[in-house]
Amino acid sequence: MPTSLRKLSAVALTLFFTQWSATFAGGYSFNEIVPDVREPAGVSGGSACPLPSRQLTSPAAIAFRWSTVLGNNPTTILTQDQTAAGRLNEIEQAIQQSLSVWSNVSGTALTSASFAPLTRVASSNLCGSDGIDSICFDQADSAFTPGVLAFTRVITADQIGIQLGSGAPSTQVGQILDADIYFNPSDSLVTFATPAALAANPKAYDLESLLTHELGHSLGFSHSAVWSAMMFPFAPAPGTFTGIRPTVQQPDAPLSDDDRTGLRVLYHDLTDTQFVGSIQGRILPANPISLPASSPGVTGVFGSHVVAVDAASGSVIAGTLGGWSCRAPGPAQFDGTFEIDALSVNQSYKIYAESLNGAVGPSEVSNALVTLCRNPTTDPGWPPLQACVVPQPNLEFTAATLASP
Amino acid sequence: MSYVDRRRFLWVLFLIGLALIAVVAQATTLVRLRFQDLVHYSYSVARVRYIRAQTRMENGEIWTDTSFNVLNHNKGYLPAQIVVRQPGGKFQHLQSHVDGAPEFRPGDEVYLFLSGHPGRQFVIVGWGQGTFRIRRDLRTGGELVTQDSAETPVFDPVSNSFTKTGVKNLPIDVFEQRLKREMLREME
Repeated sequence: MPTSLRKLSAVALTLFFTQWSATFAGGYSFNEIVPDVREPAGVSGGSACPLPSRQLTSPAAIAFRWSTVLGNNPTTILTQDQTAAGRLNEIEQAIQQSLSVWSNVSGTALTSASFAPLTRVASSNLCGSDGIDSICFDQADSAFTPGVLAFTRVITADQIGIQLGSGAPSTQVGQILDADIYFNPSDSLVTFATPAALAANPKAYDLESLLTHELGHSLGFSHSAVWSAMMFPFAPAPGTFTGIRPTVQQPDAPLSDDDRTGLRVLYHDLTDTQFVGSIQGRILPANPISLPASSPGVTGVFGSHVVAVDAASGSVIAGTLGGWSCRAPGPAQFDGTFEIDALSVNQSYKIYAESLNGAVGPSEVSNALVTLCRNPTTDPGWPPLQACVVPQPNLEFTAATLASP
Repeated sequence: MSYVDRRRFLWVLFLIGLALIAVVAQATTLVRLRFQDLVHYSYSVARVRYIRAQTRMENGEIWTDTSFNVLNHNKGYLPAQIVVRQPGGKFQHLQSHVDGAPEFRPGDEVYLFLSGHPGRQFVIVGWGQGTFRIRRDLRTGGELVTQDSAETPVFDPVSNSFTKTGVKNLPIDVFEQRLKREMLREME
């Protein structure tokens, strides 16, 4: 195809249709996993549709522990209280606060009862694939390079009955079996301060903000392309913190509506009647030959960022990564579909679509994009009828809207 | 969307941006590294082509070892083939996610800023920040280089504004010149 034609046809039209319905699986920026359909349907579910990773929410199902071993060469965790006991209490308070930010979002099945009491462990090297969620401040890891502050390893299984370490066997596909948060312990230029110590240490990173973000990963979130979101992939500058500090009146204050909506989708409360709205649509190219020729079966724009904005207030309510859909038995279809779920009913929304070449690029949400498919190349013996290949995100389109039908 | 609606939306985005200007600056897991920092911290800088990726469980963790052919190296000594280690990957029935770790696909050609030593797996300095992808410009046929973290905005407290200092769609010869300049500066 001539280059000029390709360029011209890369202008996409966006066709939206809106309907209210119960929520179903969509393409939010969650870590996704494709069940292993080579295994019997009894353990895999039989469908190759990607499923989001998530924790169980039954009482005390999520049990975090943290290592009280803190480095002193260099000292990376800064507290206001300098006594040994006071330091630990202050750090623990920051962890508790960060956990309660997520457990206090209304309209979700994730509540404070889902979390077991936080426990302290006075041993080093606590983080590892042992089936126990851990937070480590003094554990070296070869993934750390200059410039890496912290990261979270989240382990999920593609079938039920998988056991990791001392954890219980998985009862759901996509269940998070282990989530460990590592803070860089060995960079002399990097320090983390508790909220109480931040003002006196303006070159330190806010421990609570980073913990809240990393705990979002441990709950199954990937990154969000909404600027105001806690899961936006950029942390506060040294000496500052994300959003608003939590209060007794509003314990989830640091979160944005996008984070809250995502949590409601991921941990849907079946008894909730407020956040059950869903907006769906497809982003289609004006000219189908603009679609990548290298990925057969692609019929819509893949890798778009679609945002729902409250029509009255202009607030960004939620954004999602669009471009695919899936119905059992799978695989994912790259048909340009987007779906924004768990929206408050009796409100009007405007929808905006943009390509991932703005504030966030595909590499920052790669986990939400590259894990949508499996095939005989990635997994020997994979059934061809349930196989697919993830296309490259389309970064070239510009969107125009058509009126709702 | 009407012109008024569009303006209103842009204002909303602008106000959100203003509200966040004081707080947003660095990647969640990453400290922003300047180009000269990447050069300084790297043992080697090389243009490489993806061969294959293999996941393995080692010391209780899942890693992805990606093999690359070395097409040329600008800094340090490298053998003809190298292995780069990344956290996460899929191993048997387990999938380990680490957000922010770059992903590679067959056909990828990239410049990598690497730390580590020959004979062992390398790691990419600053993860996405040390990953520069090469693509061909359909219009000119020339090669362009884009850093994985090119869109990361950096807050400059002096000018009180955001800047994007990453490399995006830079012609390859310009990129090479910049790299040589930084290497020379480091040697001085």
